[in-house]
Amino acid sequence: MRSAEMTAAPAEAKQVSFSFLYPSRSAVVGTLAVLLFLVLWQVAPSMGWVNGRFTSRPTEVFLAAIDIFRNDNFLYHARISLTEFVAGFALAIVVSIPLGVLLGTSKIARYLIDPPLMALYIAPTLVLLPILVIWLGIDMAPKIAVVFLGAVFPIVLNTMAGMSEADPKLLRMARSFGASKFDIFSRVLVPGSLPALLTGIRLAVGRAVLGVVVGELFVSQAGIGYQLNLYGQAMRIDRLLVYALVVSAFGYTLTILVRSVENKVRDWRSK
Amino acid sequence: MAQIEIRDLGIDYRKPKSDEVFSAVDGVALSVEKGEFVTIVGSSGCGKSTLLMAVAGLVALSRGSIRIDGKDVTGPGPDRAVVFQEASLLPWRSVRGNVKFGLEMQRWSGGNLDEQAMQMIRLVGLGRFSDYQPHQLSGGMRQRVNIARALAVDPEVLLMDEPFGALDAQTREIMGTELLRIWERDKKTALFVTHDIDEAIFLADKIVVMGRNPGHIKEVIKVDLPRPRDEEVLDSEDFHNLRKRLRAHLAEDMSSMQLVQEVA
Repeated sequence: MRSAEMTAAPAEAKQVSFSFLYPSRSAVVGTLAVLLFLVLWQVAPSMGWVNGRFTSRPTEVFLAAIDIFRNDNFLYHARISLTEFVAGFALAIVVSIPLGVLLGTSKIARYLIDPPLMALYIAPTLVLLPILVIWLGIDMAPKIAVVFLGAVFPIVLNTMAGMSEADPKLLRMARSFGASKFDIFSRVLVPGSLPALLTGIRLAVGRAVLGVVVGELFVSQAGIGYQLNLYGQAMRIDRLLVYALVVSAFGYTLTILVRSVENKVRDWRSK
Repeated sequence: MAQIEIRDLGIDYRKPKSDEVFSAVDGVALSVEKGEFVTIVGSSGCGKSTLLMAVAGLVALSRGSIRIDGKDVTGPGPDRAVVFQEASLLPWRSVRGNVKFGLEMQRWSGGNLDEQAMQMIRLVGLGRFSDYQPHQLSGGMRQRVNIARALAVDPEVLLMDEPFGALDAQTREIMGTELLRIWERDKKTALFVTHDIDEAIFLADKIVVMGRNPGHIKEVIKVDLPRPRDEEVLDSEDFHNLRKRLRAHLAEDMSSMQLVQEVA
């Protein structure tokens, strides 16, 4: 008899790889490009290529940032925006996951609300802002609502897809071992749809950030968007850019974070 | 009384989007004794997998009955375990986690789950790989896990649906020998579906030859090759004769199929 281990070789031997050299080279090129851009941006107004009033300069933006973080009530405005974001997003998660699960496991529910859901997902929910303001006032409530509306659909739709697109072979295998409906749900459907759920959350982050800022730009008394509006009217490009950077850094960090969790969970799908 | 008793079995499918009914299996009768290794062979579309899935309780019967130890099969049960054609491993669970899956589903009370799983993993030769994820395994290793998962629940009857069908020829041969080694341990009743003639003979005490339109049993052939068997048996005269006989059967099926195509 042949040895049991004959076919049981590790799928892949660890190879010595020099691939780590390439990302670092691309990082070098990338950094150089950014530096070049900053230098150009700095000198362009002095050379008369552009009007500095409209473009500002990296040094001015840097100084504006220091001033904003020190004296501009920055934390107060950031806290308002963050609260709106967190409240709206949390609400979206609480509502969308059960809804996505229901839609993913019940065909009837899916036939019933899939088309309007799809329509709402595609339609820019921001167009509802004026109505939300009429209904909810100019405080945090309409922003929370618009964040909620932005975040809820991608999570619902992705959770639904993750649940309903479960591998039928795995379902049959589970049934063959006498799995109950609940077993199948908790041991097959839930872990199987986790990556899709996280994709939904990642897509929702971008829409939620957009919701907060646009909501505040539209009408507000405080928050990052309020500050953006304020400095926009005063034509303070340097300060506008600081706030814009804060917003994009926030969205970017959050997206990267969710993506890293997603990649971890999705590891097994890579091959 | 035989352990598996199939009487006048018929399984119909309704063709999708029409009222047309299509019979996958009809008039099948078969008994399998306890401890017998039965292979079911036939060309594709002869209903051999459908028959196996019916015994597993995963396909509803239209006519007739299947009894195991005198009890009617109405659904899956802990007395049977299936080794699927595709390994069907949960990709987020390790080898050990996958082998434990069946035990968890059946609320196994025979002691430590981990120990039972590890014992089966060692039995199929994957002792060193118990913490590997499915995507790190080769096709042959995945099928070993598939087999270990079925054995772990200690079923009365082991049902195997072309488990080596997707493997390359050499791995397939090794897996066949391995399967016999494992089976010799406690000689569980086994039903094994295949379209590979050599595999069908090599494993079997009894070969069930199936034909198509609708799926039916053409012949049941007793195999008296001595056990335990190894590759040498492949060169014996008895083996050659059986192979010839089975080839004739399958060739007949093929030619009738061509005829149908020509007429159409």
